[in-house]
Amino acid sequence: MKELPEDIRPPKWADRFFKWYCYAPLHESIYGDMQERYDEYLEQYGLRKANRKYWLDVIRFMNRHTLKRSKNSKNNTFNSFAMLSNYFKVGFRNLLKNRSFTVINVLGLSVSMAVCLVIILMINDQLSYDNFQANKERIYRFTHERTNSRINLPMATVPVVLGDRMKSDFAGFEHVVRFSRGFGGEIMQNGKAIGISGLQTDQSFFDMFSFKLKHGNIETCLKEPNSIVLRKDVAEKIFGDENPVGETLTIDTDENYLVTGVLEAFPGKTHIEFESLASMTGRTFSNWENTSEGWVYFTLQDGVSMDGLEPMLTALQDEHYNEQSEFMVDFNIQKMTDITPGPLYGNQIGTSMPNFFVIGLGVLASLIIICAAFNYANLSAARALTRTKEVGVRKVMGARKGQLTIQFIVESVLVSLLSLAVAIGFLQLLIPAFENLKMSSLLDWDLKLEPKVYGQFIGFSVLVGLVTGLFPSLYLASFRPIEAMKNMISSNKLSRVSLRKALIICQFVISLVLIVSSTLVYKQIKFMVEKDYGYTKENIINVELQGQDYDILKAELSKLPFVEKISATNLIPNTGQSTDVDAKLNYVEETVNFNYYAVDEGYIDNLNLTLVAGDNFLPAQKEGKETSIILNETGAKRLGFETSLDAINQSVILGDSNKVTVAGVVKDYNYMILYMDIQPMMFRYKPKQFDYAQIKITGFDISDEMTQLEAAWDEFDPNHEFLAKTFQGQIDEFNAFFYDVLYIIGLVAILSITIATLGLLGIATYSIQIRLKEVSIRKVLGASSGRLIFLLSKGFMYLFGIAMVIGFALAYFGNNLWLDGFAYRVSFGVDIFLVTALIMIIIGILTIGLQALRATTTNPATILRDD
Amino acid sequence: MHHKLGEFEEIVLLLVAAQHGEAYGLSITRAIEKELDRPVTMSSVHTALYRLEEKGYVSSHIGDAEGNRRGRRKRVFLITAEGKKSLIEARDARNHIWNMIPKFVIEFSY
Repeated sequence: MKELPEDIRPPKWADRFFKWYCYAPLHESIYGDMQERYDEYLEQYGLRKANRKYWLDVIRFMNRHTLKRSKNSKNNTFNSFAMLSNYFKVGFRNLLKNRSFTVINVLGLSVSMAVCLVIILMINDQLSYDNFQANKERIYRFTHERTNSRINLPMATVPVVLGDRMKSDFAGFEHVVRFSRGFGGEIMQNGKAIGISGLQTDQSFFDMFSFKLKHGNIETCLKEPNSIVLRKDVAEKIFGDENPVGETLTIDTDENYLVTGVLEAFPGKTHIEFESLASMTGRTFSNWENTSEGWVYFTLQDGVSMDGLEPMLTALQDEHYNEQSEFMVDFNIQKMTDITPGPLYGNQIGTSMPNFFVIGLGVLASLIIICAAFNYANLSAARALTRTKEVGVRKVMGARKGQLTIQFIVESVLVSLLSLAVAIGFLQLLIPAFENLKMSSLLDWDLKLEPKVYGQFIGFSVLVGLVTGLFPSLYLASFRPIEAMKNMISSNKLSRVSLRKALIICQFVISLVLIVSSTLVYKQIKFMVEKDYGYTKENIINVELQGQDYDILKAELSKLPFVEKISATNLIPNTGQSTDVDAKLNYVEETVNFNYYAVDEGYIDNLNLTLVAGDNFLPAQKEGKETSIILNETGAKRLGFETSLDAINQSVILGDSNKVTVAGVVKDYNYMILYMDIQPMMFRYKPKQFDYAQIKITGFDISDEMTQLEAAWDEFDPNHEFLAKTFQGQIDEFNAFFYDVLYIIGLVAILSITIATLGLLGIATYSIQIRLKEVSIRKVLGASSGRLIFLLSKGFMYLFGIAMVIGFALAYFGNNLWLDGFAYRVSFGVDIFLVTALIMIIIGILTIGLQALRATTTNPATILRDD
Repeated sequence: MHHKLGEFEEIVLLLVAAQHGEAYGLSITRAIEKELDRPVTMSSVHTALYRLEEKGYVSSHIGDAEGNRRGRRKRVFLITAEGKKSLIEARDARNHIWNMIPKFVIEFSY
């Protein structure tokens, strides 16, 4: 053993590695032991195996005891805890000492935090969709996109026959569930008509989705044709508390459905919207042209790959759509978890909010939280001056830079937690306001304050605290102790920090852009709402016919003394609805797509439209088939007539073969949503399509006249409720979305300007405070107040100027982007910029000027007395 | 603070006491392999020694560099009073349980 050659050395890399990780005091003894062992290995196993075993030893030695420790890790677990609690104590005292700064910081942070909290709640709401579905990770659906269409929007619907074909062609499905839309109608219950809507679907619905039945047999409830399963609240509405299984529902007086089940209340939100589910058994589907008739969902068997589906979809595309057909279709697959929240799809199975909207709100929220964070960073860095001594002392006592950084970060976390408490208070006010928005009722927001949410809030605010605290803490901790103690870090050096100036400019640029934008949105909406639409809508009440005969109703209502005129239509203009038809001059020519309104002969008179050529409909066509139409000027021009007169009495073919003559041309008026230009439009005389009676009343006392109309309706049709709205009210309802946008941007603008002002106030107060001595000396030497105010505000005014130039430029270009999408848009106008500039200047004078004034009016003696 | 002595720690501590003044990592490793005929890695013995040192049952000092250690000195471990106490306690506990075993169980087990 002893005569082993000293020159056989263990692997060099193993030694190096060992030395790299090993705790130095233990290195020598362990290394020695390993050498002895290595020699034993050499003797026993030979060089190669000995080397390998040596390596193993080196690796095995790595553990808690032998690893290198960081310098301060020895016995400092208790100490660091003690230090942490000390940081909290010092931080808390500091906050109390500088009350005004604390208030500015907490107020700014909490206001913006409250908005962020709402966004967190919204995101939670979006993420809660379909969480209760056991198969949610495995459910997919087919979608389609028309590749050669004007509308480039992917659609959630597919021809239902696609589901049948795929099921017979592909063996790997576990379940395929087909839905057909448009099921529903009216049922009569206790003399009142109740509307019911729903989806037709397969029995496999209950295998794929995790809905449960309260009554009925889940295995068979949709097997038989004409069976129906009701949602719990719908069943209660119709049948009360009884178990309705076995009852018969008569829908639209001719279809009988047997109730076979009642669903339990859903355990959460789902993207599939329905009041009832009807059996699809017995229906066959074969129309590949109807791409909006339904939805097809599927799950695959375990271990089956999606790859096989794509080529089959492509094959089906080629089989059923080609260059000759009206449109081309591209089938795709979408995972259920990507639906809500998810990208914008047309023909969704339920209302959902496209995710870009949430992202947009998120961006706004982060903008204001960034503003508030800037404030904190700015103020702390500015206040650093008063804390140089503390930093110096701490450093001399042995605090490392890392520890100081942690200390200041703890302070900022403290501020942000404090703000969170205030923000949760604000939230109680903000949630009701938010839920009052039109779109939140549309999207069924449910902003729940669950315990889990508070965890997220705290996490969020700690994160905000960490991020905001990072810059000031690194800055503070970097002071050199001697300079810090001697107060050699001059105020000059601090105020030259260009980052701080950049932060102020940034804040004001953001506020400026938001102020200009919200003013513009407001102007645009006002412009759109108040614009002369080209027709009269005052004092017109739109009454829904609900299937009643228009002529009888007209005769009935005409008896009322205050009713002036009555006309009929299928759609209300300017509310985003449209129906369209293709028209051409003769059988060969190109078609022009027309929007049309089905109206009666009283429409033009009632809405005060002008016929520029020809005549109104002939009442004669009332009985027979459609013989004449009325075009608008754009439509006549688009069809190739040079003047409106040329079009009169010309034949036009609607659709494939419906030949009609042009009776008249009506002057162009705005019937579309106002961001679109006037498109070709025609009036058609189609009494079957009438949905609304438009009743012109005298309007002396609208509410009284409405009540009388309602009384007349109740007599006329006791089965349906009176559904009526003023024309203007209906348009306003549609425009409410724009007001929502205005509301949100306006709120954010006000928030951001408040935060920016708070920040400016803080900085101004501080920087003037540290110049108090200078001001006093100047005053003693004879400087005038005006001169001093100018001197003190000069720097800030300069920053203001830069912010305004950048802000206005950004606002101009940014807003032009969206405004250009509107056919009728407002111009910028100097007034917007002037008003905004005025607001900014007033803010500047109020914050900086007042602080400067206060500084110059203090008695120099009180300040200089101590020196 | 009273620490429990693990089974493997007890063996290591016993050997530290047995090889009084001569005990270091490798010597104990060898002893376990030889006396108990049980495979053991050097690193686990070292770890046990460090843990015993943390618990105050052994103390260590730097010793000589005898052997094929390429000049590296040993870390020699000595049992402390505290360590002796806990060894005795462990033995007493064991004996107590031994005494609880009815005589015939042992006698007739062969």
